[in-house]
Amino acid sequence: MIADLLETGSIPVLERLVQFTGARHRLITNNIANLSTPYYRPQDLDPDSFQVAMGDAIAHRRRAGGGLALSDTHQLHFRSDGIDARPQSMDSNILFHDQNNRNLERIMQHLAENTLAHNAAIEFLKSEFDLLKTAIRERL
Amino acid sequence: MFGSLDISTSALVAQRTRMNVIAANMANMNSIEDADGNYSPFRRRIAVFASGDPSRGSDWGVHVSEILLDATPFRKVREAGSPYADAGGYVEYPNIDPTMEQINALEASRAYEANITAAEATKAMIQASLRLLA
Repeated sequence: MIADLLETGSIPVLERLVQFTGARHRLITNNIANLSTPYYRPQDLDPDSFQVAMGDAIAHRRRAGGGLALSDTHQLHFRSDGIDARPQSMDSNILFHDQNNRNLERIMQHLAENTLAHNAAIEFLKSEFDLLKTAIRERL
Repeated sequence: MFGSLDISTSALVAQRTRMNVIAANMANMNSIEDADGNYSPFRRRIAVFASGDPSRGSDWGVHVSEILLDATPFRKVREAGSPYADAGGYVEYPNIDPTMEQINALEASRAYEANITAAEATKAMIQASLRLLA
């Protein structure tokens, strides 16, 4: 019964979002760490394809019921206990003389966006848990 | 998530090492004798970065893979009276250009700041996650 409480509604969606932002955060910090490493190519996960997979899974759950099942993308493989990420190099910027195609401003933008998305998901999760707590306590 | 802090820290260590190398270059801009007092102009050092962090056995992060000696020729200064002057009256000084070192120092300190920002973001995320428990 407890499992049903935790696997319906927005909790599994938020859980996947936290897993995704966690995996992406690791890549972004690695990109920042390697800002001046010769031959390094920054790697990233595409948030758009994650959102498409998430949107499809939510639409499917609405139609057919059951749990939230995300289908794998070429970068993201969804396991029951987390996301198996296969990041790709970004080729969005000119190559510098040290053979690194860093794009500092974009990387810092991604860092800020990803942190905000993560913290928002955590806040929503917290309010979900608070709701459950209120229901269990049976008093406001 | 804790791994992200390791990545940022490895970069902080690497950038600080690079800063040390730059400071040593600046300090020895005019050193023409080695520590034993022999004539041997200081050669410019270059910190070379490589991704991965062998000290933790990880593919993530960054480390200083080696500190190279700059092979460019020494700066020749005419000091005919110097005991170190060659046949033409020139003394060799270190191959260090202070402008170059300044720019590199600026880049290192900006990269250091970028990593501090990343570490702050990681801390904020961990803190938010830990608030779920309490």
